[in-house]
Amino acid sequence: MNDSTTKKETILIIAAGLIIGAIAVGLVFFGNPANMGFCIACFIRDTTGALGFHSAAAVQYIRPEIVGLVLGAFILALVTKEFKPRGGSAPVTRFVIAMFVMIGCLMFLGCPFRMILRLAGGDFNALFGILGFVGGILLGVVFLKKGYTLKRSYSMQKTEGTIFTVLQLVILALLVAAPAFIHFTETDGGPGAKHAAIGISLVAGLVVGALAQRTRLCMVGGIRDVVLFGEWKLLSGFLAILVAAFIGNAILGFWNPGFAGQPIAHTDGLWNALGMALAGFGCVLLGGCPMRQLVLAGEGNTDSAVTVIGLAAGAAIAHNFGLASSAEGPTANGKAAVLVGIVVLLVIAACNSIRKKGAA
Amino acid sequence: MKEAYIATFYSHFGAMAFHKQCKEAGFESRIMPVPRTLSSSCGTCVWFKGDPGQACSWEMEELEQMVKCVNKGGYKKIM
Repeated sequence: MNDSTTKKETILIIAAGLIIGAIAVGLVFFGNPANMGFCIACFIRDTTGALGFHSAAAVQYIRPEIVGLVLGAFILALVTKEFKPRGGSAPVTRFVIAMFVMIGCLMFLGCPFRMILRLAGGDFNALFGILGFVGGILLGVVFLKKGYTLKRSYSMQKTEGTIFTVLQLVILALLVAAPAFIHFTETDGGPGAKHAAIGISLVAGLVVGALAQRTRLCMVGGIRDVVLFGEWKLLSGFLAILVAAFIGNAILGFWNPGFAGQPIAHTDGLWNALGMALAGFGCVLLGGCPMRQLVLAGEGNTDSAVTVIGLAAGAAIAHNFGLASSAEGPTANGKAAVLVGIVVLLVIAACNSIRKKGAA
Repeated sequence: MKEAYIATFYSHFGAMAFHKQCKEAGFESRIMPVPRTLSSSCGTCVWFKGDPGQACSWEMEELEQMVKCVNKGGYKKIM
């Protein structure tokens, strides 16, 4: 590939990462929970709660950032003629994997994106998360090398590829209209009560969605590329997010280094690591981190749309069955679910990695 | 001098299988991330130098597209 093209792509990814990191800190400044300017897992969980699929009163709010992210990717994909409805690649398997990815994220209390933002805010518990996350990705790469595949996807109707984005608009309308059947965390009732104004969150989501679509930003893909090809281009975007968020936190006085007393976090290093190991492993099997799945869903990928619905189901299960951690630490149910999840994903990976004729 | 081509796939497995075929056919080849200018997919592709007609005959179910690399990082779709 042409070197100047590669250099341009790298510069674009780093610039996008710096902007996204700044936006994430800005969202905290405007009202989002600390170290949670963006968290795909937490925000899908909050939205799931607002829609009544779980009853954890502290985490119920329709997050416009998620709507904006999908819309931003959808609009840019339309403009650049990259909106390509596709699907049919093992949707049920993806749904199940996504449920366990969410359970892993809620053991750690954050997605890969928030893991970086937590570190940028001085929460050193995130280091255990990163350790586990990389371990999970390495495990996934082993199966990729053994021929893991969920089989190819196929072209779909434009309506099929658009439905998920339309659903996001319906969810946004529910937030604005706020009918009685939508649940909102009461003031000072928990993280769900902390949020930036709807317009600010929506615009932030739109910008991040468009940037992520343009750059293909993906924490899992970034680490996978480093391991498989020694290429740092994709991962450099997340390193840029870390740098920008760190600088933003330092300027705004949000930098709070240490392990104990971190916002919406616990100090159990082993389970922080195992939770993110489950998430990282699952994301490799899915082909991308939760943010990337939202972007792909916006591009018309219905397999990713099913994955996002699986993440939402995982969030509901995690809170209904007492699997999600809290500031006090992980629960016994949560620990069991993470171990079960690792076993289930190993079985899925093995069953889909049978060496076929022609594989390397 | 042989011309260079890039083949993209629906899965990483497809790229691995195609890469193996390239090696068996004696093509110079390598697996790499799909260039952004070629696709919004973040998957893997195979860059190779060899006969594209022969490569197209390998009946790879997971082959998405094949392009010829042209000057200044551009591509011309051939399949």
